[in-house]
Amino acid sequence: MQKVLGVLAVVLYTVITIIPIIFALDRLILVSGFDPIFWVQSLDKNYVSQGTIGFTFIQSFFSTILTILIGFPIAWVLGRYSWPFKSFLRSILTLPFVIPAIIAAMGVLTITGPYGLDIRTNESTWWWTLILSHAWFNIALIIRFCEPVLSTLNPNLEEQLLLLPNGVTFYSRLKNLWVPVLAPAVAAASCMTFVFSFTSFALVKWITVRDKTLESTMAEVSSSSGIQGYMESSSDIVLGASLIQFLVLLTSLWLMSVLQRKRQTKWQQASENLVQNKNTKGWLVLVPAIFFVQLPLISVILGSLRVRDASADSTSFKWSTAGWSEALQGSYSFPPLSEALLNSMIYSFTTLIIALPLGYALASTIHMLEEKNLRLSKILETYTMLPFALSAAMIGLGVMLGIIKLNPSAAYDFRFLPVLAHVIITVPFVIRIILPALRSFDLNYEENAKVLGMNKLNRFLKIKLPLMKGSILVATVFTLAMSLGEFGASFIVARNSEWTTLPLLIDSLRGKPMKDPFTVPASNAVATVLMIITMILFLVVESFRKQKDRGMF
Amino acid sequence: MSNFVLTKVVIMTLVFAPIFSGCISEDSSDNELVIVTYDVNALSDSMISQFENNTGLEIKMIKVDDAGSILSYLIQNEGTGTIDLAIGLDNTYLPTAIELDLLKEVNIDQTVLSTLNSSKMQPLKPYEGNLAVPFDMGYICLNYDSSVVDGVNFTVPSSLWNLTEPEWKGKVALPSPITSSPGRGFMLATLDYFNWQNNDEGFSNWWTAMKDNNVIITSGWSEAYETHYTGGYGEYTEGYIGDAHITVSYCHSPGVESWYNGNWTKSASLDISKTAFFQVEYASAIRGGNSENAEKFIEYLISPNVNSQMPVENLMYSVLEGEDLPEENGYRFHSLIPSDPAFISSQDIGKNMELWLEEWNVAMTKSG
Repeated sequence: MQKVLGVLAVVLYTVITIIPIIFALDRLILVSGFDPIFWVQSLDKNYVSQGTIGFTFIQSFFSTILTILIGFPIAWVLGRYSWPFKSFLRSILTLPFVIPAIIAAMGVLTITGPYGLDIRTNESTWWWTLILSHAWFNIALIIRFCEPVLSTLNPNLEEQLLLLPNGVTFYSRLKNLWVPVLAPAVAAASCMTFVFSFTSFALVKWITVRDKTLESTMAEVSSSSGIQGYMESSSDIVLGASLIQFLVLLTSLWLMSVLQRKRQTKWQQASENLVQNKNTKGWLVLVPAIFFVQLPLISVILGSLRVRDASADSTSFKWSTAGWSEALQGSYSFPPLSEALLNSMIYSFTTLIIALPLGYALASTIHMLEEKNLRLSKILETYTMLPFALSAAMIGLGVMLGIIKLNPSAAYDFRFLPVLAHVIITVPFVIRIILPALRSFDLNYEENAKVLGMNKLNRFLKIKLPLMKGSILVATVFTLAMSLGEFGASFIVARNSEWTTLPLLIDSLRGKPMKDPFTVPASNAVATVLMIITMILFLVVESFRKQKDRGMF
Repeated sequence: MSNFVLTKVVIMTLVFAPIFSGCISEDSSDNELVIVTYDVNALSDSMISQFENNTGLEIKMIKVDDAGSILSYLIQNEGTGTIDLAIGLDNTYLPTAIELDLLKEVNIDQTVLSTLNSSKMQPLKPYEGNLAVPFDMGYICLNYDSSVVDGVNFTVPSSLWNLTEPEWKGKVALPSPITSSPGRGFMLATLDYFNWQNNDEGFSNWWTAMKDNNVIITSGWSEAYETHYTGGYGEYTEGYIGDAHITVSYCHSPGVESWYNGNWTKSASLDISKTAFFQVEYASAIRGGNSENAEKFIEYLISPNVNSQMPVENLMYSVLEGEDLPEENGYRFHSLIPSDPAFISSQDIGKNMELWLEEWNVAMTKSG
């Protein structure tokens, strides 16, 4: 039965994620012909995509380096020392990862804009602003991957090493202990950071303006791709960019999967209480870190209360709740916040109903295969991480073509269409949370229950489920948070205008020519609500997160 | 375990069945109107519900990114018979839609449409027929920041070649014709400016010279106007850079600025011969869709109550006879009607657009 369930899960996952890609490829190749070298060359031949390959690689590389430089000291301080309200601190510091990119971009632009640091006019600052923003977004990865290793590594190891010739100097201890212990975690986190920076879209679009990533270029031209005889160069660009992106990301994901396995090499562990002691100097790292992480978010909250005085040639602002009133009441062109909130909740709970069982079933299948067919399990694990490597533009086109083939009216009649996009995004995360928990599940429980005559369903419901409760709750809350913040529009190229969610409302408000002084504060107000919900969910996650599961998303 | 599997199957079926329902049954579409559009501000919730209450029709609205995406969506969905009406195709995209036979004739009385006070504002000039009905219009042209381009710090340009001079290096922001309608409109104007019919190479040379002069090309109008242009409301928005004193917008954009700023603006339109392009946005019934319902909505869209509000709700001119921009707060005063606009016929646009976009791309990628 587990086999059947596993096959079903893989089939369903394939239908949702892979088939749209096949549709998209089929159509694009029909337009451009099968000539991968030409696809890649087209990127430099078209003005719209010139220079994007170099920019994408360079910014991802530097973003990764800066993320490690900023994230590692935080992970170290958080892992090696004890702190009051540690779980709260960890939530705050890792929160940016689940904040929708458009909110992050709004925050960053407010800080660097004319009423903040006023550095936007200097073009040379754009690059560093982007790199720093990517670091802001991804330090959670470094913290999540490294902190559990640091907080549970038995201090005896270092003490013993101090007595040995190979551990006398700081550098020798670094070489013989810390690098081997931490390198896999840092490298795995770096791979993920590289992937997320490589596919960055909203931050690039808003911050560097003229320089584009492959992903943001694809988003720009994708609406006219896949059509014979009409702007065919768009199809060449999408294929060329997708090919490079896919190869690079697949390599990163494969590397990451190898490193993760290496990471599970057992080092002598100890409880956090034994490892951690007090260190007040650590606040010198934590306080600036909290400031760094929260600053863009605070600027969004302040932005919701700052209304421009539009009566004359005035650049003055006043503090007012008018933006909130506009967001709460809705306006001539936009639905009220409550409606968008309700829609968002409906979508996130529907996503949960699909993504959690599907992710669980896939994780169980990978885990089951690890014992029977390691090679197949590795392939399946990488396969389930593919959504990280696929371009939103490709999936968007594929989903649309798929819908046209199956039932064109689903684009406006099938209310749950955006859920498809949310499922594609959240399933890999569910797997990454559930899989380690399954791996650390003590099989003796199951075997004892078997001996005692419990059937499979009872063993699942009464033994496995209660023991996995923590991880399942983490996956649940994580899925809800990711779904709430997901734009959907980026995947589903056409959408019914009635299905406005919180992120879509922010986007629509910002898309309106902002001559109306209330649109900016109103969009900030919606962003604030979304942020607060995400923050609460994230805090709930922390209280359920098991110590040993903390390293996984 | 079997219960568990069963529950899962039931959930999946419930969730996914509607996607596949079209394979089995045909929806009745007599009482609904499916519209594909982009974020046209005029199509507000209250305007839509009023129509629904009046007619008993239910509107299903599909929103895509922009005018170009509407055309793409129509092409991708050709033959499915699921879309009744497209709102927002403009006269740079309409010829392609007509050429591809995507539109269906409607029977609408278009005599109510304006010739305004000026013969230069005729909504039926770019296209006159039953495949598309104008609902708003305006001239696309260069706007400049008059507080900087004051004849002292910067000379007010009198020719497009002025913009290729060192004075303007990196100071001009233009939306890309590949991805933006105003960008496409302006590119068409430059074709007329450089006399494309006589195979003058000026078009290609000018764009290459602009590229060499560090022209800022943006993906859409909003990036050019809000992020780069110093003369508009962009300076109040996050992300504002303010490195361009000239951009492409509408000739009535300074009027809109003034309308919102209590009769004050520093933005002005440039009246250089053959650099303004007349843009008309259309509502069109779609082949295979329910054109009767589409007609009802088009009639509503050009009815006096709705269409006269275009300058305020949609920041574009109304297409109705006798309507003009409001005079309050200097809206009309600061809005320019160009003295000698560019003109390229719909037939030429339909026939040559792909070629021109390719020529533009070559001009922008070759070294000067």
